This record gives sequence, C-alpha cells and structure tokens, in this order.
Amino acid sequence: MEAQRVTVPDVETPAGRLQGHARETPVLTCGTLDELAGRRLYFKCENLQKSGSFKFRGAYNAISRLLSSTNQNPPPVVTHSSGNHACALALAAHQLDVTAHVVMPRTAPQCKKETVRGYGGKVIECTPTEQARVETMERIAAETGAVYISSSQHPDVIAGQGTMGLELLRQVPELDAVITPVGGGGMLAGVSLVMKSLNPHVRVYGAEPELANDAATSLAKGERCPLSYYPDTIADGLRINMGPVAWPYIRENVDDIISVTEEEIKNAMTLIWQRMKLVVEPSGVVGVAAALSDSFKAREEPAKNVAVILSGGNLDLLKLPDLLSVSEHV
Amino acid sequence: MTCSHLNQLSNRNLFFKCENLQKTGSFKFRGACNAVSKVVSTNQKSPDRELSVVTHSSGNHAQAVSLAAQVQGVTAHIVMPSNSPAVKKEAVRSYGGLIVECEPTEQSRVATADQVAERTGATMVHPNQSPDVMAGQGTMVFEILEQVERVDAIVVPVGGGGMLSGVSVAAKKLCPHAKIYAAEPKNADDCAVSMARGELTPLPAPPVTVCDALKTSIGPHTWPIIRDHVDDVITVTEEEIKAAMRLVWERMKLVIEPSSAVGVAAVMTDRFQRLPADGHQNIVVILCGGNVDLEHLPWMR
Repeated sequence: MEAQRVTVPDVETPAGRLQGHARETPVLTCGTLDELAGRRLYFKCENLQKSGSFKFRGAYNAISRLLSSTNQNPPPVVTHSSGNHACALALAAHQLDVTAHVVMPRTAPQCKKETVRGYGGKVIECTPTEQARVETMERIAAETGAVYISSSQHPDVIAGQGTMGLELLRQVPELDAVITPVGGGGMLAGVSLVMKSLNPHVRVYGAEPELANDAATSLAKGERCPLSYYPDTIADGLRINMGPVAWPYIRENVDDIISVTEEEIKNAMTLIWQRMKLVVEPSGVVGVAAALSDSFKAREEPAKNVAVILSGGNLDLLKLPDLLSVSEHV
Repeated sequence: MTCSHLNQLSNRNLFFKCENLQKTGSFKFRGACNAVSKVVSTNQKSPDRELSVVTHSSGNHAQAVSLAAQVQGVTAHIVMPSNSPAVKKEAVRSYGGLIVECEPTEQSRVATADQVAERTGATMVHPNQSPDVMAGQGTMVFEILEQVERVDAIVVPVGGGGMLSGVSVAAKKLCPHAKIYAAEPKNADDCAVSMARGELTPLPAPPVTVCDALKTSIGPHTWPIIRDHVDDVITVTEEEIKAAMRLVWERMKLVIEPSSAVGVAAVMTDRFQRLPADGHQNIVVILCGGNVDLEHLPWMR
C-alpha cells in the first residue's frame, strides 16, 4: 500500500465515494480581499466540511477502502493526532460503523478530546512526545487489531484530499492558481497531483509558517529536510513535518512554497473573521496570508484567479484574542 | 447551509439563510440597494443633480446604505449613535459613508437625521419603515424557495421589523402554507407585546440586550404588516442568545452577530419544540448578519 502511487483515477473514485457523506464545500469570494491581493481570490471553505476540516475527506476514503478490501468483520482503526485528523477519523469511523481509537497527547485541547468522544471515538491519552504517540498507537494496534490510518502519509488519505482539486476545477473554471497550507503534506500532495494531471497550466503553491518551513526548505534543496524540533507557531495544525509519502508528489507537482510570518497569519485571521464572517483556525488562513504577502503579490507569473483553501475551523474560541492582529492592517 | 448537530438538537431540518455572508455583512444591503436605486431612477431626468441619501442606524443599515450609495454614485450621510461599535463606524467610512454622530436615543437619531436631510436635501432611507427597504429585504424569499424544497416555516429575527414585514408579505404570497415566526430578545419584546395586545406597543425605554441590532421597536409601517402576516413571536433570553451564537460559531464555523442568534435560539426553545412535527419539519432560519466586534465577544465578558 505504501508503495502505491496515487493517480487521478484514484482520486475520482473517492469523489464518488464521498458524495452524500463529505460536503462539496462552497467557494466564496470577497471584494475587499481581492483588492488587497490585487487578484481574484476564490476561497474553498473546508472549515465548513464535516468535522470542521478537510481531513474528513481523507479519513472517510481511507476507512471506506479498508472496509471494501476485507470480507470479514471490519477491523477498528487507530491513529495519533491532537487535532483535526482525530476528529475527522472519529466521525468518519462512526458514520461507517467502525470503532476508532484515537491516541491524543495529554496536552491536547480539552474541546478536541470532547469532540472526538462526541463523535464516538475512543480517546487514549499519552505523554506529549512523538515517541509516546507512536508507541501508544502501536500498542493499541497490537491489542485490538486496529489498522493505522495516518493523517497525511496514507495514499488513500492523499487521494481523499485530492477530491478538493476536482471540485475546484469544476467550481472555478477560470482557475489559474491554487494555494494550500502545508503541514504533513497530504492536502498539497493530493491537490497538486490532480492539478498537474488534469490542468497543468494551473500553478500550485504551498503556504507554510516561516517558523515551520520544512516544506519550503525541502523544495528549495530538492531533498526532504524535516525539522528536528516541534516549531512554535500559532498554526498548530502545521507543526508536523512534511512526510516521506507526500514529499515526492510535492517535489514533482508544486511550483513553490510561500512562507509567512506569525503576524501575517494573525492579519489574515482578522480579515477572514471580520470581512468574510467565517470561523477559520490559524492553520486554515495560512494560504490567505500567502496570497496577501508581498512576495506573492510581486510575482509576475499569470495567477489572476487564485483558489485559496481555508483548510479548517476547529479552534478554542476563548483563545481568539491571541490569534488576531491588534488592529486590522488594511 | 445545514448542520446535522443543530438538526439533532432541535429535532427539525434546519436551513440557515446566511445573510452574514451578504455584501456588507448583513441582509440590510438588499433593502438599501433597492431604496437607493429608487432615488436614482426617480431622478433620472436630472442627471446633473448630485444625489444624496441620509439614514440613522446603529450599524448594519449604515454600512449597507453606504455601500449601496457608493456603487450607484450617490452620497450617503449616516447618523450613528456615538456608542456604536468602533468596527461598525470604520466599516461605514470604508464604504464611503459620511458619519454624523448623535446621542444613543431614538429621539436623537430621528431629529439629527431630519436636520441633515434639511441641510443637504438628502432623501431619507429609513432602516426599516421605508417600503422600498422592506421590499428589498423580501427578496430573500425568492432565493429561499429556490434553495429549499418545501419550506414549512421561516424564523425571522425582529428589531424594527423591516425584514420581518418584507419576508412575511413575500412568503404569504409565494408559499402561503409556510408559517412565519418572529424571534425577539425578551429584553426587547415590543413585537411580542404588540402582537399579544393587538396594538403597536413600542418599548418604553432603550432596551438592554446583547443584540445591538435589534434595539429599535417595530414602527407604524411595519406593525400592520406584521400583525396581519406573522403567525407568532418567540422571545428568548440573553443566555439563550449567547448560547445559540456560540453554537453556530463552534459547529457551523460561521461568524454571526448576537441578533442572528435570536432565530437559532428560538428554534431551540421549549415553545418551538412543542410545535407539532407535522407541518414543522423544514424550518428556514435567517442568520441576518455577522458584524460583531471580535474584541468584545459575549462569552469573553
């Protein structure tokens, strides 16, 4: 399974599978943001997706594929995640009548643990280190026979995320560029492979916090350069390194990766919440920050109609004041 | 939009008309556009005349009139209470509106607007008593009927009653079987009291409610329409409004202002829950706006 390369047909099948389960999220526009960007921006609202982020697509596809590949009783699934993938997997599993074990760091936000439980997932807490997450997950898998579903490095997850690309091509016929946030790289891998296969003139950009710019560094050097530490960015969904399965797709299909500062992320948050009336988490607006950055605005390549993926909206509302810029930088 | 969690909580099929996503962040843009267009078309024979409009508003109508005027080449004078949220004043300025401040009372708003009209010759665009404004708000119904199959009821927040009258008139004509419910803060329940008494009963004093957009009373133009077309008024407490607002932010990922949450709170009340299931399955709830000061959210206080 790990060696299997995802191609467009592998994305088109999930598109059918997801119909009626995942939402075909709307694409919204905003005159003010167009003016600021100097371009026409098309926001793909994955904050409105089931479970509050695009992760539902990959999770649902992966579990569906697992079910269709076995004739016996469906095995449970397991993952380790402090955030959106946890919620997505729990909800997708619940909808497909499968048990989900979710290993979460003890320090994960209480609201996320409760959301996972609310979706029927079983939460197993662990020490907040990468090692503990993986070891606990492996123990659960051994004890229960659960199948591990990675948040971004599973081909079925990448294929599921790629369905956003298919929808964008339909929803924005005049599309000539896409910007997506990049953490583990599942979304960027899936969307970029769809674009370059079906509409190669569409430019694909990743957007990353400067503080967590392993993907940008990797693309520049031509080899994967993971960070050795856990970066401290408010874009908490993008702290993980771009993974080894997503990397080849990104290396081959992504035109560039734009880094943004924490301040640019906060400005983007303020603009999206205030002007577009959408609840989007910091990781979710990193693409917006990239579109509004001086470096992107200065680019000469044709990118008049730019889709920006708002990847999710799961955050603790009580923390909002710390995530907005003090005054709107218009 | 829909939300399975809110459907479960309310035991209904809820369809949210997202006017928080409307131009200027609230449904008010519809009525404002319609009213300003009328001013322009009325003056078509004097193309050189500089046209202007004036209104008094706590925020949403102010922004709506400003932008509606700007796009049609008309000057907008906006009378706003001095204690209006800063973000709303900034938005009006950014849309080209010229602000004239007044005291935060109904009396001062009206008097100041009259003075500006006299001084400048501007045409008054009342936030909710103007027929053109009411008609503009009613355009929501055409869209709702295209977007939702078989509408059983529409729940509409009510302040001055412009949206409620426009929507109820249109709905009773186009889908007469659909029930129209007004939703109102208990702390500003002039519409509920008027319906109960059968006569227009404005609030005796400025109300204290988190719904800053619903503080005005229904008026002499909206009252008769409401009386004749609205099936019932459901009032909700401040706590219910704040809880509903937080629920929409957290589960639907939509930024709505407290006034928008009034309709959501209404469908969660025992009173609404007791309505028969028959004929009350598909409920349209209007989320009327999303202009809120992010630094002063109700759950942060």
